[in-house]
Amino acid sequence: MKRKISTIALNIFLLALGVITVYPFIWMLCSSFKQNGEIMALEQHLLPQNFTLENFSNMNAHFNFVRFFGNSILITVVVTVLVMYTSTLCGYVLSKYKFKGRNLLFGFVLSTMMIPWCVTIIPKYSMIQSFGWMDSYKALIIPAMFSGFGIFMMKQHISELPDEILEAARMDGANEFYIFHCIIFPMAKNGIASIAIFQFLWTWEDFLWPYLVINSQEKQLLAVGLKMFNGQYSTDYGALFAATAISILPVLLIYLFFQKQFIAGIAASAVKG
Amino acid sequence: MKKKMFAAMMAAVLAVTGLTGCGSSASEQKAQDQAQADVPTEPFGDAVKYDPSVAINDGKDITVELWEWGSDDLFQKVIDGYTAIHPNVTIKLVNNPWEDYWTKLPLALDGEKGPAIFNVHNSYHENLINYMAPLDIPLEDLQADFTGVDAHVIDGNVYYIDYGMMTGSVYYNKAMWEAAGLTENDIPKTWDEFREVAKKLTIKDGDKLVQAGLNFNDDFHQNYLLGLNYQMGENLFKEDGKTPNIDSDAMKKTMQMLVDMYEVDGVGSKDFGEKGADSFGQGQSAMVIQWGHYYNTLKTTWSNIDFGVFEIPTFDGNPYAYNRYNGESTFGVNKNAPADQQAVAQDFVKYFLANDEAQVEFNLAMSTFPAKKSLASNEKILENPSLKVLAEHIDHYIWPGPMPSTVETSLKKAGQDVFFNGVDIDSAFAEAQANIEKDMKNSSFVSVENLYAYAE
Repeated sequence: MKRKISTIALNIFLLALGVITVYPFIWMLCSSFKQNGEIMALEQHLLPQNFTLENFSNMNAHFNFVRFFGNSILITVVVTVLVMYTSTLCGYVLSKYKFKGRNLLFGFVLSTMMIPWCVTIIPKYSMIQSFGWMDSYKALIIPAMFSGFGIFMMKQHISELPDEILEAARMDGANEFYIFHCIIFPMAKNGIASIAIFQFLWTWEDFLWPYLVINSQEKQLLAVGLKMFNGQYSTDYGALFAATAISILPVLLIYLFFQKQFIAGIAASAVKG
Repeated sequence: MKKKMFAAMMAAVLAVTGLTGCGSSASEQKAQDQAQADVPTEPFGDAVKYDPSVAINDGKDITVELWEWGSDDLFQKVIDGYTAIHPNVTIKLVNNPWEDYWTKLPLALDGEKGPAIFNVHNSYHENLINYMAPLDIPLEDLQADFTGVDAHVIDGNVYYIDYGMMTGSVYYNKAMWEAAGLTENDIPKTWDEFREVAKKLTIKDGDKLVQAGLNFNDDFHQNYLLGLNYQMGENLFKEDGKTPNIDSDAMKKTMQMLVDMYEVDGVGSKDFGEKGADSFGQGQSAMVIQWGHYYNTLKTTWSNIDFGVFEIPTFDGNPYAYNRYNGESTFGVNKNAPADQQAVAQDFVKYFLANDEAQVEFNLAMSTFPAKKSLASNEKILENPSLKVLAEHIDHYIWPGPMPSTVETSLKKAGQDVFFNGVDIDSAFAEAQANIEKDMKNSSFVSVENLYAYAE
């Protein structure tokens, strides 16, 4: 009986926590169907009193939404796929190959996670400028190809895979390329899914770097576009909420499809030393 | 289940992106506008003249970038007008978010591939001035056409000027005005009259405020403290142009008036309507003093409010200056850009300054009073009530120069200390004076108040 009560209490607590967490998003979603005057009104209602789709049709007044959305999808997918591959590859090498300086190399990878991004952004900008990569997707993709966090996470994950499987594969004549692509990759899918979700989210919402290196409106990304709603003197909240509501959909989709692997991957990486 | 959800979400994305109206592209619109543009063939302008018959870049194709924030359509229209005259020139418009523009622009200007033309705001003067080339327009021509040019002269050169002047006016809710039995004849000219009107507009239920006659919450420093000192003949900076004049009688008198309006007259409260501008839009407060941009905010965000505008009252009807103004600036030319791009940029700025239509459109879009003297009585300008009220005394508004932000923030803190922390006015302003002096110790700022037309 006591257990039942505590379970109910816990569920109520978690439900309340869930509502508190989700409420701002629901409010934003509802507000995307309100006019600005209603969003800013003294008396607030969750549901729109005067339902309007105007905010969605007004988004293009600030920037080419469809174009920015497409660009963001392209860059995010490319960067995520590359990071999934490079993180798994580096994680595999660092966990399963024994070579001189391995720990030093891993320490170097970890150190990249410890330096705040704001310290490196100016030298990174200067490098990109000197390479002539400004206003090019090379500036977004190449520096993002390797992720310290991804390598760290995949090293932890792959180190728990039994060495015997790899030995057996080698004895059966499998080469290193085959072992990595056909044995390690499928076995590490939970960890890879976690990396995919994290990386997708980070790249999707990254604002400053794309803003600094991309100038052309036809190449610009959605995270930058969302800032266009904040004007010098006022903000078009309705259109901002409408655009933000749509911009969240790809992230929701990714999480929806990879959530099982994501949870398993996080749990597995967390318990491994 | 997952497939169904995926399908539903994709359908939502498609439906919503369809709603955004991706049918007509910006380039198509540009082509249409360009075709419609009335291409001038004769020189136009007042003293600053633009001659469309002079070829740019010897007629050879050239592309330059123009960076700005905010209004794509506004800038694009000027670009279309210019490129219709010079089809060999392509001006690529790069729109930026306002806040982040000031991070990206200096980085870009520092290199060789920054924009040849960029939009300027005088509050970022110190960050940009070292990247700017002087305008290739005779100073006397600029002075003849535009107000306030002298304040922008640096060693005989001008790098940018104001195309418009923005300042504060009183916005009042017409329905509340009528409900209080007030008419057009009651529009106050002096602060004493203003306080009486505010009392009439105030509604209380017992001790509880229901409708504020006046709300200056969150912006008293901007709209009162940094302006009414001029009405009493005191500048914001002392004679050396560098020492702030904050711990002054005028400043304290203004602060005392604000305190009295809330605490003696009871026309508002620090706890009623957190932000004056929002509170007015929400129909909670009957009057606010706001700068010109508020006119557009009311039109777009608070379109249900029927409002009127009148000029800021004065203490005695004969002020030294009515209020402080700030300028909206013309474009800057990047001195690090290649010479051929700089030539296009210089020509484009001249085209903009000589083009009355562009000047009017920019001023209406920003709700600024035109700095171009010939446009002071322009019909379109005077149709905007927030500009019409400024027309009579526009020469009696003063610009202190691009003063450091500490002046505003320290005054805001002083006011907050008085209202919220029980600090007495003398101590609050003595502290503000000390803080501003400390913050400005290494600043190169020098006030241009001495260049005011009626400077004493």
